[in-house]
Amino acid sequence: MTTENLLEIRNLKTYFDVRGGILKAVDDVSLTIKSGETLGLVGESGCGKSVTGASIMRLIPIPPGRIAGGEIFFEGIDILKLPESEMRKVRGNKISMIFQEPMTSLNPVFTVGDQVAEVIRLHEKLSQRETRERVIETFRLVRIPAPDSRIEEYPHQMSGGMRQRVMIAMALACHPKLMIADEPSTALDVTIQAQILDLMNKLKEETGASILFITHDLGVIAEMAQRVAVMYAGKIMEGADVDALFSEPKHPYTMGLMSSIPILGIGKKQRRLSTIPGVVPSLFKLPKGCLFHDRCSVTLQECDQSEPPMIDLGNSHFVRCHKYV
Amino acid sequence: MSLWGRITSSEDRHPFFDQIEKLFKNRTGLAGLIIIVVFSLAAIFAPLISPHDPNENSLYDQLKPPIWNQEGSTKNLLGTDDLGRDMLSRLIYGARVSLTLGIVSVGIAFLCGSLLGAMAGYYKGWPDNLIMRLMDIILAFPHILLAIVIVAYLGPGLRNAMMAIGIINIPRFARIVRASVMDEYEKDYVTAAKAVGSSSRRIIFNTIFPNCLAPIIVQASLGFGAAILDAAGLSFLGLGAQPPLSEWGAMIAQGRAMILRAWWVMTFPGIAILLAVLGFNLLGDGLRDALDPRLRD
Repeated sequence: MTTENLLEIRNLKTYFDVRGGILKAVDDVSLTIKSGETLGLVGESGCGKSVTGASIMRLIPIPPGRIAGGEIFFEGIDILKLPESEMRKVRGNKISMIFQEPMTSLNPVFTVGDQVAEVIRLHEKLSQRETRERVIETFRLVRIPAPDSRIEEYPHQMSGGMRQRVMIAMALACHPKLMIADEPSTALDVTIQAQILDLMNKLKEETGASILFITHDLGVIAEMAQRVAVMYAGKIMEGADVDALFSEPKHPYTMGLMSSIPILGIGKKQRRLSTIPGVVPSLFKLPKGCLFHDRCSVTLQECDQSEPPMIDLGNSHFVRCHKYV
Repeated sequence: MSLWGRITSSEDRHPFFDQIEKLFKNRTGLAGLIIIVVFSLAAIFAPLISPHDPNENSLYDQLKPPIWNQEGSTKNLLGTDDLGRDMLSRLIYGARVSLTLGIVSVGIAFLCGSLLGAMAGYYKGWPDNLIMRLMDIILAFPHILLAIVIVAYLGPGLRNAMMAIGIINIPRFARIVRASVMDEYEKDYVTAAKAVGSSSRRIIFNTIFPNCLAPIIVQASLGFGAAILDAAGLSFLGLGAQPPLSEWGAMIAQGRAMILRAWWVMTFPGIAILLAVLGFNLLGDGLRDALDPRLRD
């Protein structure tokens, strides 16, 4: 483990024991995030990207979930081995989380200022006045106008964009090293979405925090991330720097995703939007061999026989495909 | 309400005020509230407003009828009982007993029930099973019978009656709190609270519990009425308040023997119980309408 890696996930396996078998939501996932870097984690709904985020926070409901294997090193310590009381000191303090639904992620019966203050109270011993100062300072950081009066408001009095700013303020209140953003802009409309993403980029520069950015939106990834990991049915299919991934995607799944992005203004006759044939396999009935082979454009002999290994293509570009063996 | 009124009321105020306003607009709920306020004031200022000492015997004024009767006098507005004690004063002091009793027994049921219910709803699994089966056992006994058993064990008296009524009402609170906690547990803000490092205890009491208060408040109000009724029943059986304490149930028991000669000795405490219980039930219904989000317009 190198010191520059803030977070290093090795062979993480998060399974759910449900009626009908074991659901392998995250299977053998390895990721690294460097200090000050944004890692984008993309994939379709149900591919396990949110479960990966929740596993880092150890917020998987046990049972039915369990972390079946792997290690998660954060600042050199395997946080999967920490006792719960130690883990609580990490959550919200060193690693914090931003959720998808700002409308429901705030407690309706407390003022927003109180909820941000709660995070500070949990992790730091500050006087009441200092806490209030810190809350106002954090509100200013996330560009909430008139923070002195807005801290007295209740969540229902705020718009979705403002509430998401409060969520980000909660995540930032204790100056975390890593923020896990689980689709932070998905529930917002497009203009607000742009504002929030812009804000997060600025905050990353101002605070130097690393971000694990979970989304299904490739456009958002291009704007936010330095490195990208593409996830499919619980496994990482391709990992690369953002430019490399967009300019020369290697995995057929990534290529399919790229060509599914609509392009505006090609000419009068818009070409038909291309799609990836088939549907995401059920996690109960995963195909044999490569998980993607029945939807794939490339078909080699070994595709339905054995699972491809992760192949290093150089320039920190990794791909899980038989084509490159 | 005008359009502007609506907008400002929902934007600028805490939802609590909207609910209070809604309660005031509900006529039956308001009626219940008024009854309870009148009874509470009577209880608080009993020494100031009661015309006589409730325990003062008067040999010459035994079984005086109320004032509107030919034999009635202005000295005793609602007549006297068989020892010549002033009925009105005894009723006013009785409100003190009944309200304290309601507060204490509902308090016991509320605290224990909320704690047990919250733990059952939060931890699920075996703690849930253990707690709720225990509650089922308590509920399996006829209500008043269990209270009688507890009082018989602890010994008769007002204090033990309050405890008994508190204990038999624990399951009602436990069930409601458990259901609300389970409901709230699934909400995103609970996950968010975990993600900032709150402990389980903090999540139960500081995050979830304040969101479950609406149904608990309703149950507390309805339980208040039930507690007064139960206590009156226990006192009537001689297990609750002991003479000479002026308690409504005990007064009915005492007046029972002379219902044909002096109907007022038994009737007025009965009406007092009826009004108090009615008041709490009406308020409870009104609160439910005001607090239940599904009934909001």
